[in-house]
Amino acid sequence: MTAARYVLHEIQSYHRFIKFLIFLVALAAVGSTIRFIFGLGATTNLNDTYPWGLWISFDVVTAVPLAAGAFTIGVVAHIFHIKKLEPLVRPAIVTGFLGYSLVCVGLMLDLGQPHRGIYVLFPWNWNVHSPMFEVSMCVMAYTTVLFLEFLHPVSERFGWHIPLRLLRNLQIPFAILAAMISTLHQSTLGTFFLIAVDKLHPLWYNPLLPLQFWLSAIFTGLSIVILEASLVHRFMGQPNESDLLATLTRIIPWVMGCYMMVKLVALLTFSEGALFDRPVLTTLFVVEVAVGLLLPFWMFLQSRIRTDKSMQLRAASLVIFGLVLNRFNVSMFGMIQPGQQIYAPNVLESVVTVGIIAAHILFFVLMAKYFPIFEHHPEAVDATIPDTFRRVGKEELKAIPVTVLPDP
Amino acid sequence: MSARTDFSRDKAFLIDMTKCTGCRGCQVACKQWNQLKAENTTFFTGEGYQNPPAMSEHTFTRIKFRDYQKNGQNEFAFYKEMCMHCNDPACASVCPVGAFQKTAEGPVVYLDDKCIGCRFCMIACPFGVPKYEWSKAFPLVRKCTGCYSRVQEGLKPACATTCPTAITYGPREEMIKEAERRLAAHPDRYLQKVYGKEEAGGTSVIYLTALPFDELGFKPVTMRALPSYTWQALRLVPGIFLTVGGTLSAVSWFQHRKEKVKQAETESKGAACCAAAEAAETSKEDHQ
Repeated sequence: MTAARYVLHEIQSYHRFIKFLIFLVALAAVGSTIRFIFGLGATTNLNDTYPWGLWISFDVVTAVPLAAGAFTIGVVAHIFHIKKLEPLVRPAIVTGFLGYSLVCVGLMLDLGQPHRGIYVLFPWNWNVHSPMFEVSMCVMAYTTVLFLEFLHPVSERFGWHIPLRLLRNLQIPFAILAAMISTLHQSTLGTFFLIAVDKLHPLWYNPLLPLQFWLSAIFTGLSIVILEASLVHRFMGQPNESDLLATLTRIIPWVMGCYMMVKLVALLTFSEGALFDRPVLTTLFVVEVAVGLLLPFWMFLQSRIRTDKSMQLRAASLVIFGLVLNRFNVSMFGMIQPGQQIYAPNVLESVVTVGIIAAHILFFVLMAKYFPIFEHHPEAVDATIPDTFRRVGKEELKAIPVTVLPDP
Repeated sequence: MSARTDFSRDKAFLIDMTKCTGCRGCQVACKQWNQLKAENTTFFTGEGYQNPPAMSEHTFTRIKFRDYQKNGQNEFAFYKEMCMHCNDPACASVCPVGAFQKTAEGPVVYLDDKCIGCRFCMIACPFGVPKYEWSKAFPLVRKCTGCYSRVQEGLKPACATTCPTAITYGPREEMIKEAERRLAAHPDRYLQKVYGKEEAGGTSVIYLTALPFDELGFKPVTMRALPSYTWQALRLVPGIFLTVGGTLSAVSWFQHRKEKVKQAETESKGAACCAAAEAAETSKEDHQ
């Protein structure tokens, strides 16, 4: 009883934006319940012509590269050992962990038989020829890795010394593992659409699609880190990290450049069939490339823009817009055949997807509230330094500021 | 991707559309054998005379009608829509749990107790065959079974048994030979093409028609087996996994080593800096 009152009291003290997010998530929960009672046909606009809709295009195909910040920043900070970027790592891992968990939630809603999702793990079902098999295995494995990495702030919060020591030693192996697994499934999401030989429009269909998906996930992941750090600075009172972000903005254009070259080569040499035969698709392609690729690329090349905190945010947002449009072009718009009825998500589908996005922001804010995800531990980076946490005594531990639930 | 390369003894349908009368006995037989529900449809909601307007969870095969003019006369042409039972089926290759299998007898079967319901098969199938039970809360995929249960018992599929004119059923090699014999014997009657011989890497349903295939509603498909398109990327997966892991481990080792060397250098710079270093050390400890 008192626990419930604590929780209620706590929720009442939240900012009204958080309350609004809770409302959106609750709506999505209602939508999901309706899906499990009345079925996919009744709750979505999916049909035999469009077996995949918003829930796959956004909640899976787009959300996975949007959650790529964790592995990219992990590689940059831990493997290339740019130590000063350490403050960006932990929030990015929380963002990634939430992102992947919500991908799993979205997938569970979309699967016809969600209770059988576990079947993918049974060796007698394994089908190594299936891109979906690979992605499901990778997503499960990587969500686990992200969870373990996320245990870091949790262990700090509760003073679990032994897990902390273990996690600290595993930091670099985890960063490598994360990059390995992410490389596989980010690119394999592109392989998904290689099977749609005569369905996906040649503006996007080419055998280099997996490589493009991987490269775009890398620079989008770094852009997400910029977005997240900028918003956290703006709305959650965290320090301005634009100097650190300027390091990222120097890396991003290199990856974007590689991506653009691959895209150009793919378009010129590997595409088959008429490219610009459908005006709507041509427009979508031009917007994707011009607004979501060339413009931010140019912006990141200007040192004035690259180091300015609000311009960084704008350029990163453009990159993210470009990626979202690209994934929708590949998984939805480009798959529409001429003369076919057009799919548009209905209200319920949209409410669920909006709820998933809201849940991401909500859980991030709440985690930041209760766990030390912004506390910067520059000394925690160096693995050669002995574990300080082991030496923290009971008295000192009490001195570490933790959020205490207020008395009702 | 199927391990087999020889499909000549697979059971195959030879469907001669010029001999089809449009009686739709096959549709009825299919519904009866598979115990499929009737659909409540309205005539002319589809493209022409055909009914139901599309294949669905309740309709595994369907005769499409196309009216055209020949010598000033109105004529009908037909096309039997069904699972093509590909030699190397896209549905089987993309399924994460292997719920589709190419059987040794020829039919591509769906194991509904394995399916997790991801619907990748529906995206992958170049012929748009797998359909979904959209009305159910926990739906499964439905499609033509090639009457596998009958074929196992040495019977012909229901539609092939019922068809009075157009469907011949037998080993694929013989069906192709027969199709080519007909093309040669009556060049005036047929379009000179055996649809299904090469399409999507070869199928166990082979068509002969008088009209161009696209006019009848056949989908344009690649001549390559579809699984090869994804496999050319997926086969690189283990190599890429290890390369990324190896490269990043090497980079990580190198970067950390570089720093250690640098640290050692600064430490060995002599006693002059000793005091300063010690001061730094103390301040560090204070910080902790």
